[in-house]
Amino acid sequence: MEQSIEKIGPTIGQSLLENPKMSMRNVDVFYGDKQAIYDVNLDIGKNEVLSMIGPSGCGKSTFLRCLNRMNDTIEGCKVTGSFDLEGKNIYHPKMDVVPLRARVGMVFQKPNPFPKTIYDNVAYGPKIHGLVESKTDLDEIVESSLQKAGLWDEVKDRLDQQGTGLSGGQQQRLCIARTIAISPEVILMDEPCSALDPIATSKIENLITELSENYTIAIVTHSMQQAARVSDRTAYFHLGKLVEVNDTQHLFTNPDHELTEAYITGRFG
Amino acid sequence: MSTIEIDIEKSNESNCTNESEMKKVNTIELVNKNLKKRYRAERRFKAYGLVSICFALLCLVVLFTDIISKGHGAFFQTYIQLELNLDEDVLEVNDIQNMKQLASANYQGVIRQSLRTLFPDAKKRHDKRKLYALVSSGASYQLADQIKAQPALVGTTISVFVLADDDVDTWFKSLDDAKPFIGRMSEKQLVWLESLKKSGSLHKKFNTTFFNNGDSREPELAGIKGAMIGSLFTILVTFLLSFTVGISTAIYLEEYAPKNLFTDFIEVNINNLAAVPSIIFGLLGLAIFIGMFGMQRSIPLLGGVVLSLMTLPTIIISSRAAIKAVPPSIRQAALGMGASKMQVILHHVLPLAMPGMLTGTIIGLAQALGETAPLLMIGMVAFVVDVPGALTDPSTALPVQIFLWADSPERAFVERTSAAIMVLLAFLISMNTVAVFLRKRLERRW
Amino acid sequence: MKKVLIFSLFIASALSAQFASAGRSNINIVGSSTVYPFSTVVAERFGRSTDFKTPKVESTGSGGGMKLFCQGVGVQHPDITNASRRIKKSEYDLCHNNGVNEIIEVLIGYDGIVIANSRKATRMKLTRKDIFLALAARVPNPNGTETLVDNPYKTWQDVNSALPNTAIEVLGPPPTSGTRDAFAELALEGGCKKVSWIKAMKKKDKKAYKALCHTVREDGPFIEAGENDNLIVQKLNANKNALGIFGFSFLDQNIDQVQASIVDGNEPTFETIAEGSYPVSRPLYFYVKKAHVGVVPGIAEYLAEFTRESTWGDEGYLTEKGMIPLDAAKRAETSSDVKKMRNLEL
Repeated sequence: MEQSIEKIGPTIGQSLLENPKMSMRNVDVFYGDKQAIYDVNLDIGKNEVLSMIGPSGCGKSTFLRCLNRMNDTIEGCKVTGSFDLEGKNIYHPKMDVVPLRARVGMVFQKPNPFPKTIYDNVAYGPKIHGLVESKTDLDEIVESSLQKAGLWDEVKDRLDQQGTGLSGGQQQRLCIARTIAISPEVILMDEPCSALDPIATSKIENLITELSENYTIAIVTHSMQQAARVSDRTAYFHLGKLVEVNDTQHLFTNPDHELTEAYITGRFG
Repeated sequence: MSTIEIDIEKSNESNCTNESEMKKVNTIELVNKNLKKRYRAERRFKAYGLVSICFALLCLVVLFTDIISKGHGAFFQTYIQLELNLDEDVLEVNDIQNMKQLASANYQGVIRQSLRTLFPDAKKRHDKRKLYALVSSGASYQLADQIKAQPALVGTTISVFVLADDDVDTWFKSLDDAKPFIGRMSEKQLVWLESLKKSGSLHKKFNTTFFNNGDSREPELAGIKGAMIGSLFTILVTFLLSFTVGISTAIYLEEYAPKNLFTDFIEVNINNLAAVPSIIFGLLGLAIFIGMFGMQRSIPLLGGVVLSLMTLPTIIISSRAAIKAVPPSIRQAALGMGASKMQVILHHVLPLAMPGMLTGTIIGLAQALGETAPLLMIGMVAFVVDVPGALTDPSTALPVQIFLWADSPERAFVERTSAAIMVLLAFLISMNTVAVFLRKRLERRW
Repeated sequence: MKKVLIFSLFIASALSAQFASAGRSNINIVGSSTVYPFSTVVAERFGRSTDFKTPKVESTGSGGGMKLFCQGVGVQHPDITNASRRIKKSEYDLCHNNGVNEIIEVLIGYDGIVIANSRKATRMKLTRKDIFLALAARVPNPNGTETLVDNPYKTWQDVNSALPNTAIEVLGPPPTSGTRDAFAELALEGGCKKVSWIKAMKKKDKKAYKALCHTVREDGPFIEAGENDNLIVQKLNANKNALGIFGFSFLDQNIDQVQASIVDGNEPTFETIAEGSYPVSRPLYFYVKKAHVGVVPGIAEYLAEFTRESTWGDEGYLTEKGMIPLDAAKRAETSSDVKKMRNLEL
């Protein structure tokens, strides 16, 4: 199967939407001289779950990190193109990255709770963004975030214990609780279950489905089955190009592009 | 390898199925043959390590034995028990409520009278002087303190432990040696001392003077309190300055500094400064702080500033290492939450890097505590008797005190030098222990 | 931000503290390491018996002390400098150039320099000429011609056949020490000018004369043993063939371990040094800035304490420490000069 970039044509399928939450046009990303993302055009809709799949090194994590400007912290990373969050360009020089990240939250591949108490982990965001006036308000936010993340019952009587003392799955849910405590509009998830066991994974997948009622979610995943389970639309990346974006059911049962088909049938991985 | 090739060739002539078996057998034989050599080499390596550790421990034991054996005597001081008749006429005191009179009373006369009563054979002026020389010149001041606290004692006869002269002290402590110390003492003095010893009037008591007094030219009155307070003040200033500046610099270099030639230049200079001989910092202090800023010589404030210059590279280098060791995942998580760069550093990086920073700081401070050369250039190597009360009072430091006493001719200073070394070593060991303890404890907590 | 504020506060307070030092309340004394033991004793007694703070005494060496002393007038400069030799004209000029115009010179006593060895060895009887021939870098050619050669002598017997056949090994002070200067001037030069043609050289070429008579050999037999006299005494005990050069006060304190060599027929004792028959002795001084009297409290009282009979007299406590006292007439003369604060004129 020829895998050169030139042979991949324009994006097939439903990559653009009406009234998208986030809108990306002509995105190129370079690491130094090496180009990682080639001319990607993609929309993410309100309250939808968009999953991004593709073989290793195809650029999906890189693309995801552009959405909350986490690539700013990487030396030598250059991002061109337009990124709009509800019409506003997030890469505008005058755009402050701090409130952007309050609106677009991120959950990472390896759970990384702060080495603080569970309470302090969840309370950190609201505190630094000044979202609460009193301690009772803070308690409320902590409790509701942990409940929404499905962790409250397990930790409600040990909120003063270290967050790092929880199991892997609990830690990831703690990270999710921490992210939603500041009520972002978009949640980015970079392979959130790859470090977890199947039971924890299924808990988190249920959580994603619940959260999608109130948040827009973009999730990068290595597991096609996971993408099939949780997402509304799926985007397939290959060697830095966006090959196909379609309704999940459609993409997995009847893909439009031959590369997509080759990937999901396992001819390469 | 060649054995295998030869065998393979040979086996080519024979059955093919034997080939692989042949190969396997030869490899195992080789492995077994070399096994003994490998284990022998490992045992030898372990033995070298053990010998080195034992040798190092032996050297430590020798060092401590030498210092302790020379110094432990200094913690006891010889006193002469005398019956003192606190006669008002001799003391020249007529009003025991008058503090001024009590302070300047003739205590020396009372002590001398008691000595004359004990040894009436000292008649000539020369002999009397020799008799009085058995008692320390500071004994009258100690007696004055006693009487000022209890003025009612005037007029009575009391038994007092009077501080003996350093020659008497050295002689008394050397009685068990092959040749007891005589020094400059005359025959008559030795006769008197023997008589005092026989009557049980010579006592060794715990040397509180060593811990309560500042420096003195008389060994029996010399103490390390002045030096200890001086060291304490100096280290305090060093800590405040070098800790704040060092940590800020490390944060700047690690988090904010752009990767250009100027930053490289700063880094190279800091690394080099860590290796600069400490006396250069003393010269720097002399030229800039004393010469340009006009600061006073010999004060702990100046000493602290100079020593902090010396400690800064150590703290910066260890703090940078501690900051680098903070896992990037924590930074990413904090950034992803919308924390600004400053908040990431203050809320997350600093607390996690603190154990490493503290360890580096304590090690740097322990090193500064023992430094003498830079203090030499700024005038802290001086004879200072008064215990410093403020950062701007002249003072010395503990290692400097040791250096000065090592130079003194009186024999009694030899044991005091070793005792002061013991105190300094105790400080250094405890500081380093605190560093290790803190690091272990903070690591677990964070 | 917080840290920057705290730091700048600290710098501000540090700088302001040094302005606070404008009123110094204790006397600052610098100078000779030989006079240091005597100066410190007086300082301590002075502090104990009066309400003034105990003076701070630094041992910087005579030369170093003079440099600091002559930097100028003001509380950041020392008040008094000790010296184991008289102030040089160059130093006097330096003082005057920097505004130190009124200096009070106080002669306090004498100190002898001894060349001693362990009591376990035999006592040496040396002349100053022996010392010169043994220790100088260049010596007169042994063949009798009036030329100089690098010092070829290896044993004391080479220098003088009456001396024992042991290797020349002398532990002495480094070039920064006033004791070394004094030793060079008194012992080496004293022996040097015994050679008549060298003495004649003094008038013709003073520089060469000085270089010849003051330069100590560096090829091994003379070992610089630092300023720590305790260490020298220890080394002499360990090596019976070695000799050590140090002050008389040290000999006095260690008389049970070391013995002084007889120089030019004279043993160093109180009496011989005081009357001048022991040739290797030098006067001890200290110099006071008149401008500081009254500004820094206690200077006049310190001078009074130092010049008391009970301090520097024949039975004073300085004598017990090993200083050789001036004779009574000299003491009276110096004492009255000090009271009048007579200005030094060179």
